[in-house]
Amino acid sequence: MSDSTLRGKVAVIGIGLSPVGKVPGRSPLWLAADAAKKALADAGLEKSDLDGVLSCHAFASPFHRFSVAFSEYFGIQPTFSNTLQVSGATAATMFNIGAAAIHGGLAKVVLAVASDSLMTGLTPDLALRSLTESRDQQYEMPFGIPVANTFAMTAHRHMKEFGTTAEQLAEVAVVQRRHAARTPGAQQTTPITVDDVLNSGWVTTPYHKLDCSLISDGGAAFILTSAEHARELGIAKPIYILGGGECYTHEHIFLMPSLTTTGAVTSSRMAYEMAGYGPKDMHVAGVYDCFTGTVIMMLEDLGFCPKGEGGRFVADGQMTYGGQIPSNTHGGLLSFAHSGMPGSLFHFHEVIAQLRGQCGERQVRGAELGLVHSLGAGFATNATTILGTENTL
Amino acid sequence: MTATDDARRKPLPTPDADSAALWRGLRDGVLLLQHCGDCRHVQYYQQGMCRQCGSENLSHRAASGRGRVHSFSVVHRAPGPAFKDDTPYAVLLVDLEEGPRMVSTYTGGKPEDVTFDMDVVLVCERIDDTTTLPRFRRA
Repeated sequence: MSDSTLRGKVAVIGIGLSPVGKVPGRSPLWLAADAAKKALADAGLEKSDLDGVLSCHAFASPFHRFSVAFSEYFGIQPTFSNTLQVSGATAATMFNIGAAAIHGGLAKVVLAVASDSLMTGLTPDLALRSLTESRDQQYEMPFGIPVANTFAMTAHRHMKEFGTTAEQLAEVAVVQRRHAARTPGAQQTTPITVDDVLNSGWVTTPYHKLDCSLISDGGAAFILTSAEHARELGIAKPIYILGGGECYTHEHIFLMPSLTTTGAVTSSRMAYEMAGYGPKDMHVAGVYDCFTGTVIMMLEDLGFCPKGEGGRFVADGQMTYGGQIPSNTHGGLLSFAHSGMPGSLFHFHEVIAQLRGQCGERQVRGAELGLVHSLGAGFATNATTILGTENTL
Repeated sequence: MTATDDARRKPLPTPDADSAALWRGLRDGVLLLQHCGDCRHVQYYQQGMCRQCGSENLSHRAASGRGRVHSFSVVHRAPGPAFKDDTPYAVLLVDLEEGPRMVSTYTGGKPEDVTFDMDVVLVCERIDDTTTLPRFRRA
């Protein structure tokens, strides 16, 4: 921990969610603008108060410069902007980079916003691109390797090395569905059992349909500013960015250094060090959950349990209320919504709402410290952000 | 040609300056690995320089073709119409005898027969005049 880091220097002062799930007739730009309006209203600000915009690519509105297209749509002319692309890890990088930009004086009030319409907004051609585009056209695509397959091979190896079971993987989906049932607006709320998951049909072994995240429409937005400016504005409960870390270990799945230990070890260690807290101090987490096995591996790599014990940890009830680290309390990508790259922003929305104490019947009591981990591209990209209330500074 | 027709065709590799030799070698029935003359690193993914030490003192040598399955996943839902008729098929991560790992698919047997640590051997599968894909069968 050092005074020169961004620890505690930047706060989230506004959060907003568009409608999520199946939202026909709305473009990604509309979804982003809707979320942005709500985040601004939540912060008590006007769009003219924004001078920075960070976003990421949307398949259904394939602008190369989505953040710039968004600004035009929203009627603003920011002096700091970028369209970030590190797949599923992009969400956490928006917080890390937004905080760094504010701390470094490049912007004063940054809107972090993303959205997509994967469920209703894709033409067949765009849908196909979204499935295969991110794999290498020479070394991977000729073999018919969906992105799901790369994650599946990591989970399969985890089962082989540590005895993780299909039932333990399924339990992640069961727990998160239970969480989603208490989240207004969640896409899937019907309770499921381990047997339901195991009988839902293969996608790519060891993953069944219900081991896989949803396909959704939706967006989310956040307003970031300096801790000092948050105080000037009289924000009731700013949530501070305490630490951030990232790690990029490979591009191709066959060059992943280990199939069962990921860059999340490094990204989370950096974030913990900056924050001055460890995994045992966290009260709530948003753990990227594109697939059930992903959560098990991340609970290990983020330090919530030892390597190889993630399956038992989940089966013992440690990732839900009353356990060590209530995770994905909104239902996650598996049950709340998964609109592609913006999906992990829903984890941020939930963790920030938990730290503000706004989660009603699904509130984790006394939540002051939270972690969000975003990842993508077969664990190629990893980014962690640690957030906390005023008491944790 | 419409984009939908395109989607029904399997994507074929377009070699680049780094990879031309690999695809030429496969047409001749060999899998060429790059051996670094300075640090002895061996790489499958073709680059103009050694990934470990940065040296450009690389030479191509044919792999033995022998390898072992490190992990695998049997695809039941294809990534698009081009692969639909092939399902179920097993995607393999194969550790080659020379060290590098590569991704490929299983051929010459049922996907459910694939196991961890199974010994496999290279099969150069001719797709058309320009493309031959490296696949693996049980040793």
